Amino acid sequence: MNDTLIQDSLKLAEKVVAKTVENNDSSNFWMWVAIGEFAVIIGFVLAPRFKIKPTAKQLFKEESIAKNVDFNNILNSSFHSNELYDILKVKCHPDRFPTDPMLNEIAEKLFQEITKSKTNVKRLQELKIEAQQNLNINFEKL
Amino acid sequence: MLSNSWNNVLDWFRDRSERSKLVRSFNESARNSFVGGIAPTLLKTKISKGERAYKHQFSNWLNTGYRIQAFTGRQLSKDELMHIGKVILNDETLVRKLVVLGWDTLEIHGDEGTYGCRWQLKDYMPLPKFNQE
Repeated sequence: MNDTLIQDSLKLAEKVVAKTVENNDSSNFWMWVAIGEFAVIIGFVLAPRFKIKPTAKQLFKEESIAKNVDFNNILNSSFHSNELYDILKVKCHPDRFPTDPMLNEIAEKLFQEITKSKTNVKRLQELKIEAQQNLNINFEKL
Repeated sequence: MLSNSWNNVLDWFRDRSERSKLVRSFNESARNSFVGGIAPTLLKTKISKGERAYKHQFSNWLNTGYRIQAFTGRQLSKDELMHIGKVILNDETLVRKLVVLGWDTLEIHGDEGTYGCRWQLKDYMPLPKFNQE
């Protein structure tokens, strides 16, 4: 009778111990999850403070890359800017307006701009319109 | 240090992508211009070996040449090749972009062989002296 009682109590004790260990394992697991989450949150909070500031070289690079290049204008200018420049430099030359000082001054400025933009068709076309409006030049008859 | 190396890796990949994007955009525009009759010859860009003597602070280790080659259509004269080069070098935005993406040589080649012109890009863009900071 005593033996069976002892055996029963031993089995019960084993069960209790097993249950306790099982509970401890699960609580440990969730504790580590909480620590991990806390570390992640701290990381996110502190990350901006330790962020390396971009150097002047990197900023210069970023700025240069962000700009867009007009390849269509480059290709158009590669083959057609000379013709337009030749027409404009003749038609807008300041010597063609010797009598009117105001027109002469406008032509002078325009001519300088034309010379500066001789390899840019887009800008030359804008200057052509400007010349038509301000100097009353007719580009139809050469 | 670790984050610095990581940033360098990211920069390298981003530069590669920007370089190929620039080459692709030029080739696409050149094709459209040729098809539309704006350009008498088909121009094509590719990355070439470049000239090591022209290197600057942004230069890549390898392949530092930006080569524009004339393909089908008519043969371009030396003056025309020079003019294409001048148009590109006068475009400040493009030169700046080429320099920061690691190119140091601009080459304009004709259809045949290695006939063409070559320019040092840093001559056309004053670079700030970043290394002395």
